[in-house]
Amino acid sequence: MNKIQSARNIGGYVPMVDGPEKVSGRARYTADILQPGMLTGRIFRSPYSHGEILDVDISQALRLPGVKAIVTGADCDKTFGVLPIARSEYPLARDKVRYRGEPVAAIVAVDDATARKALSLIKLNIRELPACYTVEAATAAGAVQIHKRKPGNIERDIIFEIGDVESGFKEADLVREATSNCAEVCQNQMEMHAAIADYDALRDRLTVHASTQVPYYVHLMLAQILDMDMSRIRVIRPQVGGGFGARSEALNIELIAALLARKIGGCVRMVTSREETFITHRGRPETDIRLKIGMRKDGRITAVECECDQRGGAHSGYGTVTILYSGSMLYAIYDLHNVKYTGRRVLTNTPPCGAMRGHGTVDIRFAFENLLDQMARELELDPFAVRRANYLSAPTFTDNDLMVNSYGLPECIDWVERESGWKARRGKLAKGKGLGMACSHYVSGASNPVNASGDPHATVKIKLDFDGSLAVLSGAAEIGQGSSTMLAQAVCEVLGLDLSRIRVIASDSDLVPKDTGAYSSRITFIVGNAAIAAAQNLKGILIAAAARKLEAKPDEIECLGELYRVGAQDKGITFDEVAAEALKGGGAITATGHYSTIPESRGGNKYRGAAIGASMGYSYSAQVVEVSVDEGTGVVTVDKVWVAHDCGRALNRLTVEGQVQGSVWMGMGQAMSEETGYHDGLMLTGNMLDYRVPTIQDSPPIEVGIIESNDPHGPFGAKEAGEGSLAAFLPALTNAIADAIGIRFNDLPVTPDRVFAAIEKSRR
Amino acid sequence: MQALPEFELLRPTTLDDARKARAAHPESQIIGGGTDLMVNIRRGIVAPPVLIDLTGVAELRKINADETSLEIGASVTLVELAAHPQVIKHYPVVAEAAAHIAGPMHRNMGTVGGNLCLDTRCIFYNQSEWWRGAIHHCLKTTGDICHVAPKSRGVCFATFSGDLAPALMTLDAEIGVARADGIRAMPLNALYIGYARQDEPQTATRGDGKHFLSLRPGEIVTSVSVKNTPGLRSAYDKIRIRRSIEFPVCGVAVALRRDGDALIDLRVAFTGTNSRPVRLEGTAALCGGTPDARVLQDLDALVRDQVMAMKTTFTPGHYRRRVAGVLARRLVTRLFES
Repeated sequence: MNKIQSARNIGGYVPMVDGPEKVSGRARYTADILQPGMLTGRIFRSPYSHGEILDVDISQALRLPGVKAIVTGADCDKTFGVLPIARSEYPLARDKVRYRGEPVAAIVAVDDATARKALSLIKLNIRELPACYTVEAATAAGAVQIHKRKPGNIERDIIFEIGDVESGFKEADLVREATSNCAEVCQNQMEMHAAIADYDALRDRLTVHASTQVPYYVHLMLAQILDMDMSRIRVIRPQVGGGFGARSEALNIELIAALLARKIGGCVRMVTSREETFITHRGRPETDIRLKIGMRKDGRITAVECECDQRGGAHSGYGTVTILYSGSMLYAIYDLHNVKYTGRRVLTNTPPCGAMRGHGTVDIRFAFENLLDQMARELELDPFAVRRANYLSAPTFTDNDLMVNSYGLPECIDWVERESGWKARRGKLAKGKGLGMACSHYVSGASNPVNASGDPHATVKIKLDFDGSLAVLSGAAEIGQGSSTMLAQAVCEVLGLDLSRIRVIASDSDLVPKDTGAYSSRITFIVGNAAIAAAQNLKGILIAAAARKLEAKPDEIECLGELYRVGAQDKGITFDEVAAEALKGGGAITATGHYSTIPESRGGNKYRGAAIGASMGYSYSAQVVEVSVDEGTGVVTVDKVWVAHDCGRALNRLTVEGQVQGSVWMGMGQAMSEETGYHDGLMLTGNMLDYRVPTIQDSPPIEVGIIESNDPHGPFGAKEAGEGSLAAFLPALTNAIADAIGIRFNDLPVTPDRVFAAIEKSRR
Repeated sequence: MQALPEFELLRPTTLDDARKARAAHPESQIIGGGTDLMVNIRRGIVAPPVLIDLTGVAELRKINADETSLEIGASVTLVELAAHPQVIKHYPVVAEAAAHIAGPMHRNMGTVGGNLCLDTRCIFYNQSEWWRGAIHHCLKTTGDICHVAPKSRGVCFATFSGDLAPALMTLDAEIGVARADGIRAMPLNALYIGYARQDEPQTATRGDGKHFLSLRPGEIVTSVSVKNTPGLRSAYDKIRIRRSIEFPVCGVAVALRRDGDALIDLRVAFTGTNSRPVRLEGTAALCGGTPDARVLQDLDALVRDQVMAMKTTFTPGHYRRRVAGVLARRLVTRLFES
């Protein structure tokens, strides 16, 4: 009888559809793909921070037996970059090198040993220029200009004031200002960057396998860099070992591999080292924040003034978007009016930053929640009460025109307050122990695609043929976050089928519809809705077929997944019979579904760039962190974390819990131990020993509460679950430390040496 | 993953063959678990043409431990040492130090000999070939200056980071050293010669972060042994930013004896700070009474005087030096009162 049960897989604990391959080692990542005749590619990187290239002498390297070809900047005069307005980067440096580690040349050779030897034979002749490693140096009067088109090394500056900040501060009972510095951090995803490029000279066709979150952007950039027609390019995304934003734009690695492949008319495998993956970077920029908040005695915020400087590195990347996110996402979590934001994205001679998990929102949220906690203490208010005094009431539009339809922050806050025993325990813990809380939020997909081209924001196709299986075709990039599982679940839910009928194909531009990729937490909301639409269209076709077969009207047909019938008395016909009927006449069926964000969700125009931050829905998170501080050594131990996340509706509780725990964990790394360090622009921490991601030994118990606010536009009510819980950890930690030892940390990460120094200073 | 450079791997099964192999290949390097050496080879920091793997030599894989003495072969793994019931019972500082090393996989592979002879470390040294080339290398490899102290005039400040050495030094351990013509014994303390300070000339007994072991060409550390001192209490503790994987920000071993209310014997040793594991000198003056606040303050003064942490790690030297004293004071108090 269970055959006629609807799958009801939404809201359960559903193992990932690609899990068995991943845990058993059978999953194929880019580096696992071997082809006959494949050659090895290696990149020659600049040892200099800044300089004019006089000559790249490859003559000796070319003479080394086994070297097949070498490409340099001379082989490509096209630039790439994720934002159409800021394509500043050559795959291989041409006029100048701008950071230590920038690709200058690339070798393809018969094996790695030969390629490595050839690297040592390349001579880079340069006229060195002064280098700027900090925002301060890059913006100083007379600083050397890193890019011709960016005077003063300002990639983008932005000022907006919405409301009246001055009078807002006048209404306040307490006005406080704090400056924060958040160190640069990196994603350090498990899989190192890799690409395999295979050029077929006979047919002028290129196939690229790339470890990417954005196969479509890679496709666009390959066409641009190689000056090839897009129809001659095929991009395949094998399994990807994590992204977190490190691969949310085309990287020089896949572009260089393609340049080499075309030059030799063959297949080039380029697998980078961990250090190269670190230097390719695209992490979160070092951020300096000056924040001023006005508050009334009851906790109500009356005005906010925020200045933000980001050290963006040597190229534009996502920089403009990051600095805009930092301003716009001050909103949509609390009911704010009278806000002034000044942001500067600065170019420096360090590796380029990118769109790391929680893009643009994390450091600002840290500063904000940290200062709220400090002010709550001064006003003798409970920090929960301060948040409650500033709730939005959804549905609403914020002052900067962000659309908020569902708002589960109050329920998140109630959950962590209750589960952590806050009221009974706060202030009563042993010496050196403390509790802190904070909140955060994130977009469920940018409402405006980076490369808008007029087509729908997502397209999903479902193919049904003689075998009765459903192939879900989507370009949505599965990078470990569960995107393919979500697509399978969404289709099954609409059709009432079991997951075993579904295969998700989401990896090959020859087969799947275009998708802009895995970034801004867009896939569940935007592609999920397209999958629902496709499944509904298929369901319509199947119901029409069942009606023909059962000689009934379509609206009389009851669809029970594996059984279609006319009323409860009818024994009905099976799914296979319905499918066979549907195939009559036209053969294989492809049902298509589209989704685009609604115009009201796309933000306003109160300032240039106000569309950044606009989304169909926002996730919310609240956290309580419990710490112990060893006041003798400065070592901070996180004893426990309670986190509640409003994801609208948990389509899969297993993956939601995993994503929320992962967010907390990544936030913990940024807050406590992770930071990049440089010696004159040379990355000191480009390895997993010196770049200190927490180990499992450092991981506290994390209790996850799922809050379901049922967004009216979300697929089955869902919103994002993969990013929003990162930011709140950082301030919840510093708030807990302040509770434990009475010292407030405004700079991250809070490493033992910094805690030790602060304790010593406080005792002087 | 990059291919390793080519080398010849010799796997002797007897100590005699190991000695002969060492004598026949003066440019060879000894490999135990390879947890440190293989990383350095992969990074092009060292490129030994011959590696002599000692893990197949059965006589080097034994632990003999009872309440009177302890003898550990150089190829004993760290996990075997950490889990040995007699070591845990009679020589807790050794078992604790072994259990604190790196992560479980490193301890499964890593050996006692490897940890005792662990290469010194520095943030300017433990980097890729490209990286080191970009700053024209350093004193410890082929360069002309030490980037930690550019005015050091020929002295390398790379830091010794093995955890076992300080633990064993507090027990006055001896090591066996095999050479072509036999085996000699020497105090473990004498293995380490990374003493040199800025502007000091180096000699055969006063080396630096580059010349940090007193081994002569062709010699192999084969064992380490300890005679138990009745009534000795011992323990090991260390600070690291993460609780696994990392080398010590600072590691401290303490062994002491108590008679009534008096501290009658105190031995303290450090790792992760200087170019050698530091056995603290002058602790006899702290004995004779209760280790009260004044004694602990004096202990701290000795630590500050003898522990010298430079900018060889990402964590500031000042912190490493200060926290060394904190850990030492805590261990002394804990052991005295236990």
